[in-house]
Amino acid sequence: MSEPGADLTDLTDRADHTVIVGTGIAGTTAALTLRKEGYQGRITLVGAEAETPYRRPPLSKDVLRGTMKSERIRLKPDGFWAAQAIELRTGSTVTAIDTDASTVTLADGTGLDYRKLVLATGSRPRGLPQAAGVPGVHYLRSLHSATALASALAGRGPVVVIGGGLVGLEVAASARALGCAVSVLEAADRPMSRVLPAWLADPLTALHQDRGVEIHTGVSVARIERHTHGKLSVTAADGRVWPASVVVASVGTVPETALAEAAGLPVANGANGVNSANGIVVDEYGRTPVPGVFAAGDAANVPDLLHGGRRRGEHWNEAMEQGAAVAKTIVGDPTPYPLLPWSWSDQHGVTIQVCGRPEVATEHEVHGAPESRDASVVFRLGGKVVAVVAMNRPTEFRTLRQLALAAQH
Amino acid sequence: MNQEPYKVWECQVCGFVYDEALGWPEEDIAPGTRWEDIPDDWSCPDCGAAKADFAMAETSRV
Repeated sequence: MSEPGADLTDLTDRADHTVIVGTGIAGTTAALTLRKEGYQGRITLVGAEAETPYRRPPLSKDVLRGTMKSERIRLKPDGFWAAQAIELRTGSTVTAIDTDASTVTLADGTGLDYRKLVLATGSRPRGLPQAAGVPGVHYLRSLHSATALASALAGRGPVVVIGGGLVGLEVAASARALGCAVSVLEAADRPMSRVLPAWLADPLTALHQDRGVEIHTGVSVARIERHTHGKLSVTAADGRVWPASVVVASVGTVPETALAEAAGLPVANGANGVNSANGIVVDEYGRTPVPGVFAAGDAANVPDLLHGGRRRGEHWNEAMEQGAAVAKTIVGDPTPYPLLPWSWSDQHGVTIQVCGRPEVATEHEVHGAPESRDASVVFRLGGKVVAVVAMNRPTEFRTLRQLALAAQH
Repeated sequence: MNQEPYKVWECQVCGFVYDEALGWPEEDIAPGTRWEDIPDDWSCPDCGAAKADFAMAETSRV
């Protein structure tokens, strides 16, 4: 890594220039890894968000609960980026990419020539059609949206969370910790159905219920209405009604691909809700078919080298690992995207860690007691480890994850 | 008695902060416990990353 205090004048190859679009963890990790690997060209990190790079995982947890000081959410202290000779352009939207001319255009008209371009444009919350035009329905993605939701929760009124995935349940746990009455409405027959098998998800559902979170499954939301005094109500197709002061929609994400699409890069537009089939199409090194143009993080649609087919990640760690890998590929050390991405969640103080894809496994081996949320589980397919899940056993998870990774080679 | 000022360590995976002055009473790590006195197999309480994944925070204690 360059010494602190390095600046642009120290770069030995000013003609080389990598432009990274997106200041989330994929884009920032790409920038930091380029410097760590000794990249001597210019690096410009462009992001639409006004804030300097920050951590998203605490948004649904500490930020909502008000237990994290704002300076702690910053990825790096002020001045760090400049000291790394990384030109940070926050609050700056890329409006066009010309891959023939190798230029990007910013909203203020600025043109940037690049030799390498990394699209780390991320994802946005999937919009809930029933919430369209209803003020007071919250989505969680940015620091800005988390701050707005935290203010709304401060009223301590009843909260309805639509969607029982990891983010929805983290929001539910945080709102409950603040003393709000919380109902989670899930369309499937159980929460976390995309992430965990029922026998592991059920003890977590029970924990939510023990802590006073109401969980309703098989709910098809028919409409959301706003009444006088700002009160809301959510009505299910079967006629059930939940009154609320705050409604949070957390029903998955959609990759930000418009820019790539407009630039003529291949983008998979899969069926709604099918993550395997959307995103900017890249190979296992993050390369689009256009030389010098890469995609990483939530926006990227990557091949699943273990199980075939394609997939798109939505987790912090995977975006981080992809950002690092693409940077190494750029400096001439081609590094594939992780075979076994992992993620974590925190719900009512239980740390849940998942690596790989438990749903493809045919056998599993349990250590500990899943029913009391203290366990690690190794999942196998044809004798090969394909996933590891742990609840409140981080040390064991780490060991098992490393064994699983080693077993792939 | 160690006269060094207390340091702050930050998980490079998730950003969890361990402050030596505060310890981590949830796991019986007393306030004032120095980083080097924490077992090597200790894990980040938030994301589960290894002790080796922590770095001394560049900012001072806040």
